[in-house]
Amino acid sequence: MVYDSIANALIPTPASNPKDFNKKKRVNRTAKLKQSKLDVRREQWLSQVSIRFDVNWLFGVFIVKNKGCKEENRGTDRAKTRASDMHPSNEGETRTIGKLVINRGGEENDGLMNHYSDWESPSNSPTSHTSSLASNRSVTNFTGGSSSRSSSSSSGGCYSGSMTEEDDGDDGCLDDWEAIADALAADEIKSDHNVSPEPQVHDHNINPEPVETVKDDRVQVNRRAWRPDDAFRPQGLPNLLKQNSFPMNSERNHGCGAWGFKNTGLTPVPTTCPICCEDLDLTDSSFLPCPCGYRLCLFCYKRILEDNGRCPGCRKQYEQPEQGIASSKLARSYSMIPSR
Amino acid sequence: MVDFGRVQKELQDCNKDINVSGISVNPKFDNLINLIGTIPGPVATPYEGGTFKIDIDLPDAYPFEPPRMKFATKVWHPNISSQSGAICLDILKDQWSPALTLKTALLSIQALLSAPEPDDPQDAVVAQQYLKDYQTFASTARYWTESFAKTSSLGVEDKVQKLVEMGFPEGMVRSTLEVVGGDENLALEKLCSG
Repeated sequence: MVYDSIANALIPTPASNPKDFNKKKRVNRTAKLKQSKLDVRREQWLSQVSIRFDVNWLFGVFIVKNKGCKEENRGTDRAKTRASDMHPSNEGETRTIGKLVINRGGEENDGLMNHYSDWESPSNSPTSHTSSLASNRSVTNFTGGSSSRSSSSSSGGCYSGSMTEEDDGDDGCLDDWEAIADALAADEIKSDHNVSPEPQVHDHNINPEPVETVKDDRVQVNRRAWRPDDAFRPQGLPNLLKQNSFPMNSERNHGCGAWGFKNTGLTPVPTTCPICCEDLDLTDSSFLPCPCGYRLCLFCYKRILEDNGRCPGCRKQYEQPEQGIASSKLARSYSMIPSR
Repeated sequence: MVDFGRVQKELQDCNKDINVSGISVNPKFDNLINLIGTIPGPVATPYEGGTFKIDIDLPDAYPFEPPRMKFATKVWHPNISSQSGAICLDILKDQWSPALTLKTALLSIQALLSAPEPDDPQDAVVAQQYLKDYQTFASTARYWTESFAKTSSLGVEDKVQKLVEMGFPEGMVRSTLEVVGGDENLALEKLCSG
């Protein structure tokens, strides 16, 4: 676990300073204390998480409930840590174990919402609940929890004096979240936004962006068509004037050659669909639905097929076999796009 | 839904070479569905010298369906109704292709003016006259052109004066009148809109 390595890494740093023996001793003692505490906490958390999720699984796992549980866990855990700072670790352990057991009892009760209402008005709960034993247990748990919680929140200022403790607490928290996240992932439940294993995964995440940009560049190059007024247009390029299927558009059309992709007809590929005036993409440009060479975008082609099915260029009916070939071509070119 | 991108582009492209073709298309109102096209009467025909206005309504499925066109100017022609201005032209019906444009349709109408098809008439009376007494037909057509499609020079001056009195600069008034084919109301609309 990350937890142990951090604790180990932190301990020798102050211990290696031989100047102040007292300080060293104190540090050693706190280190030992901390180590035992960490072990206890780890065990406790492993068991607690598994128990909680078993219980949750039994009662049907709800996101809201989980969230509530986590927050509760966090609160009690913090309180426990602070309590165990002041008490011997054994007491902390017993206390937490006791709490854990009680918690289980509470879990087996009606659910989290009841706990909170019990907590707010503990005097009402024994009478208002049908299962008085369970509710009693939950009440004891939550009165205890509330006291430790309130004490922890009030003593927050003095507690924050030690940096290592703070770090440990944060790490512990992260560990908890990790464990919960793992459990949630195992249960195939989308957890809430707080559970994010990203910091750990991030380093291993190799960004594939450079490759993509290269590919994009290439596509751009392929798509590029020379306009007649383009300053960078090579002088050697022929001035293609034959695209007169859309006479209004002729000045736009004659400048573009089909450089970079297959030029099947004698007529050059127009840059825009003559029907809808939208730009032709790579698929559209390589799409030749009629032997007459009249090109159009796939949307307009489909629209015409739904209508009378005649080529706008020659008014001949689009041939059915041609249509089949065209659609298979289409499917292939579509399947090629994501693989690029 | 009319493809407004395409219509917009057609209007731009058509009005770009208005000096060469003499054909223009302008919005009738504040939309791109009701348009007014103007074509000059072809030379060496009874329609020479006239400017003919054509009402254009674009159907929702344009350009997959043909634009609805009819003469707003009265014309004496076998294939054009002398009453309603309805045009009998195959490309405006079953021979329409989405590859055609408003401009090419107007060009076709202009070609129809110079090459009537009396065997497939819209106006039977005119078609009969065309077949039986071409001279009478020609003079009637010329007379109609003079009466309805031509704006006499005096008339133009009157309109210019009227519009100048409204406060528009004379040069602008003349050019606008020319663009809209001499219709003073259309010119006023155009001047007001911009």
